Formats: sequence, C-alpha cells, structure tokens
Amino acid sequence: MPDGSISAGYGTIAGLVVLIAASVWLGLLAQRVVERGSFMKGYFLGNRGLGSWALALTATVQSGGTFMGFPSLVFTNGWVVALWIGAYMVVPISGFGIIGKRFAQLSRRTGAITVPDLFRERFGNANVGLVASLLILFFMTVMMVAQFKAGAIVMKVSIPEDIRNLIGEDQSEYGTWYRIGLAVFTVTVVGYTLIGGFLAAVWTDLFQSLIMWVGVMLLLPLTLLAVGGMAAATHQLKNEVSAKKLNADAVAKHAPTRAPAEERLKQLDAALRQYAANHEGALPPDLGQVSAELREDPISGRPLEYYGAGYQVAQAGAVRRVVVAMTPTAEAEDPTADAAEEPGDEAGWQSVLYSNGVVKSGVFSNPGDLLTAPGPHDFHPIGTAFSYFFIWVFAGLGSPAGMVRVMACRDTQTIRRSIVLLGSYNLCIYIPLIVICVCGRALLPDLAVSDEIVPSLAVQTTSHFAGGSLVAGLILSAPFGAVMATVSSYLVVIASGLVRDVYQQFLNPNATEGQLRRLSYAVMVVVGGIGIGANIHPVDFLQKIVVFSGTCGATAFVAPALMIAYWRRATAAGTIAGMLCGVGVTLTMYGIGMAKFSEFTPFRPFDIDPIIWGLAASAVAGVLVSLRTLPPDEGLISKLFDIETAKS
Amino acid sequence: MSRAAEDPLVRSARREAAVVLVIWAVALIYSVGYCWLFGYHREVSELTFVWGIPDWVMWGVFAPWVACFLVSLWFSYGFMTDAELGEEQTPPSEAAAAEARDA
Repeated sequence: MPDGSISAGYGTIAGLVVLIAASVWLGLLAQRVVERGSFMKGYFLGNRGLGSWALALTATVQSGGTFMGFPSLVFTNGWVVALWIGAYMVVPISGFGIIGKRFAQLSRRTGAITVPDLFRERFGNANVGLVASLLILFFMTVMMVAQFKAGAIVMKVSIPEDIRNLIGEDQSEYGTWYRIGLAVFTVTVVGYTLIGGFLAAVWTDLFQSLIMWVGVMLLLPLTLLAVGGMAAATHQLKNEVSAKKLNADAVAKHAPTRAPAEERLKQLDAALRQYAANHEGALPPDLGQVSAELREDPISGRPLEYYGAGYQVAQAGAVRRVVVAMTPTAEAEDPTADAAEEPGDEAGWQSVLYSNGVVKSGVFSNPGDLLTAPGPHDFHPIGTAFSYFFIWVFAGLGSPAGMVRVMACRDTQTIRRSIVLLGSYNLCIYIPLIVICVCGRALLPDLAVSDEIVPSLAVQTTSHFAGGSLVAGLILSAPFGAVMATVSSYLVVIASGLVRDVYQQFLNPNATEGQLRRLSYAVMVVVGGIGIGANIHPVDFLQKIVVFSGTCGATAFVAPALMIAYWRRATAAGTIAGMLCGVGVTLTMYGIGMAKFSEFTPFRPFDIDPIIWGLAASAVAGVLVSLRTLPPDEGLISKLFDIETAKS
Repeated sequence: MSRAAEDPLVRSARREAAVVLVIWAVALIYSVGYCWLFGYHREVSELTFVWGIPDWVMWGVFAPWVACFLVSLWFSYGFMTDAELGEEQTPPSEAAAAEARDA
C-alpha cells in the first residue's frame, strides 16, 4: 500500500469506545457536583474549585491541531516545524504568570463568571462585555467547528476493514465512514458537555490529557523501533523532497509535457536495478555506471541530479524509499518553465525517481529541505519564525477558554504548581511528537492525507504484535481526546457567552435558573449541529484555522487584558478600541491575503505575521483612547486595585 | 481624599508579569537567533547530528526548551509569591437584577 493507508483491528475501535464511555461517565459525575450549587456558577465555572492538575492540563491551547494539524506540518515540512512550535517552551510560564494571579483575584472581586463578565464589571460598562462576547462567539465558533474534522478522521481510521466493507466500498477521503465518525464524535462531545457543563469539560479534558501523554509515550518508542532509530530516519530524509499540493487540472495539463522525463527515469530505474543486483542491492556511487543516454533529462538536455550514492535499492512498490534521481529544476529557457502556473511556483516542474521504482512529476522542494530551515517551499521564513513566538504565547494568553479556567482556580498556589506541571507536560508531548512525525515521514513517505499521520502510525507500528490493535486504540485515543477536550471547553465558553453575556444581560435579566439551563442545552445542541453541517465538506489544513483563531483571540484580548489587570487609567472606551482595532487589523490582513493569494493565508508585510501588527494596533488604540477619555470612577478602581477594607 | 494602598497582590503580579515578559524575550531572541544563524539556508552536507537530530534543532530549540523548563521551576518555587485571592463578590449588575426579581 504505497499511500500508507492501513487497516485498524477491533481493539482499536474498542479503545475509542472505552474513551467515549469514560468521558460520558465523567460528564455524569460532574452533573452531580453542579447540581449542588447555583446553576450558573456551577455549570459555567465549576464553583472556582480547580486544582493544579486540572488547571495545568486543561487551560492550554492543545487541540485537534496538536495531534492532527501540527503532526501534519512536521510530516510535510520536516525539522523546521520544531522552530515553528518552539515558543511552547515559554507557554506554561506566560500562560499563567502574566495575568493568571490577577485575573483570579479580579474575578472574585467582581464576582465574574465569564470573561465578558469580568470585562463588564471591571468598568461597570455593559458595552465592553457585549463587544467581548461577540468577538469570543465569532472566533471561538470558527476554531471549534474546525476541530470536528479531526475527531471524524480518527473515528474513520479506527474502523476495521471488514466493518467498512459491510456498507460497500468507500474510497473517498470524506465519504460515508468520515460522516459516521463525524456524527459519533459530535453526539459524544455535545452529550457529555451538555450533561456536566464546565466541570465535565475540565474533568474529561484532564483525563484525556493524561491519555494523550500515555499515547505519545507509547508511540515514541514504537516509531523509533519501526524506523530503526532517529539517525536512520534522518539519513533517509537527507534527500527527501516535498511535493507542492497542486490541483488536478494543473497535474493533468502537465502530464503530457512530463511524459518523456518520466519514461527516461523508468529506464534509469531498470538500469540501476540491474547494477544493484550485482552489488548486493547497493546503488552506484554515481551515474557514470549506467549508459550516457540515461544520464540526461530529455526535456532540458541537462544531466539528471543523482542522490542514490550510499543507499540501497528498495523492492518495487515498497513503502519506504529514498529519492534516487531528479530532473534538473526548470529554468527560464526551459520549455516547461512557463507551464508552471501555481502562485509562487518559481521552481517549475520536475520529475523524480524513488528507490522503489516509483516515478512522479510535480513541483518539488529541494532535496534536504526537510532537515534545514526555512523548510520546503520556503515554509518558515525568518520573519514568520519571529512571529510564531508571538502567536503561540499570546494566543494562549488571549484565549478566553484559558482565561476562564484561571478565573476558576482555587488559589495562587494552584497557579504556581500549574506552571511546572504544564512545563513538564509540554516537554513530554511536543518534542516527542516532532521526533515521531519525522520518523513517520521516513516510514510512510507517501501518505495521501498528511493529517492522518498519527493515527496511521499508531495502527502501522502496532500491527505486528499480539494485542497491537488494543495499543493502537489507546494511542488513537490521544488525538480523539485532544479534539474532544477542545470542543467541550469551547462549547462551554460559547454557551456561556450567549446565555450569560447576551441573553441574561440584554434580553432577559430576570431569567429563571430553569430558563437559563434550557437555553444552555439548546445552544450546545445547535452549535453541535453547525459543527456537523460545516464539516460535511471540511476545510483543508486544520492548523491554519487554529492559527487564525488564536491570532484573532490574541489581537483582541491580550492588550485589553493587560490594561484591565494592571492599568488603573484604562477606560471602557479604550478597552473597546483595543479589542476592535486588534481584531480589525487581523481580519484586514487575512482579507488582503485571501484576495492576493486566492487561499486562506494572511498578507504578511516583511514576512511579519498579522499577530504582531494586530497586537501593536490594539495596544496603541487602547492606550490612546483611554488617555483621550474621562478617567474611570476612582471608587470602582480602588475596589479592584487596592487593599480591601472591612465593610462598615 | 487619600488613596488606599495598592493591594500587594497587584504589585507582585505586575512584577512577575514583567519578569515573564523578559524570559519570553530572551527565549525568542536566543532561539530564533540561533536557528537563523545555524539552521537557515544551510547545506545538508554541512549539518552535524546529535542523536540523529540536526544540530541547529538540538541547540536552537530543544536545549532552550529544557532551559525554559528549569527557569519555570525557579519562577514558580523561588520567585512567584502566594497571596489571598479574596472573598467572592456578587456583581453589581447581578445584584440589581436580583433586586428587580424580588420586587
């Protein structure tokens, strides 16, 4: 199976069923706790009782992206993705150390249950809360809806082949089994969140975070063993190339032009196999060992580039292989150069021969780009690398789902311990995942859907030993758990935003507890329905949505949150200006990027990401407008910033 | 009118936030700077490897990651202070709504 597609066993699906059952059970337990106190504070804030483990392992920005989008990027772009995610080294300390303590205090002094609550009560101004609510609803819905795809993919991969065959052939990427997976995922996550609210989200999140840790710790040695060690994987990737994603029309259009080059490479493959048969499988040190005619690209007339020295020939059709030879990069005088029509496609078309005899044509990166920066096709230029140290740190800081959990923590000791717990957790998750997925590129280099690398590796590396499918099920629970955890926590924030910050504040301030409860349930069901509807034809590259949503959150909330926490002179108008200017700049840059490049990517002047421009705009607008408006009421400020005095 | 003294928690939280921002800036400058100098546009033939990991990834990302974890240990147990978070209050807007309901 050259595309790396694999079939799961019954143990795999059993593992997922156990995870689902455990999550629902935790939801039921949470419901009992919620019923002990007031519905709003219990359902949306867990009665401010979060301990260190719950805070550390649930208030982070781990998501479906952690186990789908991020691994997919490592698989496609290689080691440079380590730098792309590198800012996570400071996320634990920045996520809790910058505003954690102060937000926990402010939320108690104001009695806030949600983030918009806090914004509103800090200034005694309903408009600040409304703007915060609407922004949260917008970008958290976008982020959450994108996660459903990842959950559905895990379910799809975990279905055993003979069950799949029961309903006939389903070859399409997002066919029947994907849709069944989508439905099962949605019912599960909406179900347990609806039952237990915030605490259900937190407890299942904690449980799933531990499962993720176990999954990664199992997959790391299994993958290293399968590939023959890290050094073997790196050696295999030294000349590996990444193909640009091209549309079917472009491929069909270029097929006739590339035919002579492909034919030449097939002839070269036959000659090389003959040589290898006489040399214990080793490929020749250079192409001087084969006939002169075969050493030339028939299209450009220039010599082929040869990378086979030091490698072995692979069995025809084998999954693991290395690049053996490529046609030279098309240049301006080359007849194929103007045939390349993809935006930014300066390299032109090439054809490549692999050691398993497969020949492909397309737009390829330079051999070795997977081991160096900026990576294939200029994936991570230095300006972007700089920007990602802002994105991950401030996306975590500005995430309302993270802020609300800090508000729910028990005490400051909890925050301190959480920094260390999360620091060690991230070390054990992200660095191993990079290693796993680099090895995955060596093991399954032609995997058709790169988002499936972790599930595919789980099934592939456990298929050779007894009980392997059960282990695969446990490993697969990690991405499934990550996605469920994200969706459940976002469901709570979205529902609280609509119920508490819009309905109760503006439409029905005298709503009874029963009305609020019923509306909360209805909102969750509707959001789940939107998730299903939006993912029948899902978006490509989940990670882009994660970055977009994180950027919106950061540019809308980081500067206002700092102003709220530490600046006495901040005003309601300044905070609103900060939120709107930050998110406005971000959306404008995405809009320009989409118009300019015809894909979901932002415009980046000087390679600097929108987050930096957005943060700057938000901070400047927040400060200037605050200084140009009347100072806030000193009594209210004193209540929130000064030592509490005993009430007479 | 004399102003009440600022809550010590506000002061300590502000100081801790400033230290965290400095740690973040140092990590950014070191990690991106090191990778820019030793990882960008490098020939594969020039790379060296530590346990199969390219040298620039090991010293530009993984090593500072471990260092940041050690710094966070110091920050949490040697620098950050504990403080009372205070009693839970009822938001004024909610109190007003409750009064209206009772009326």
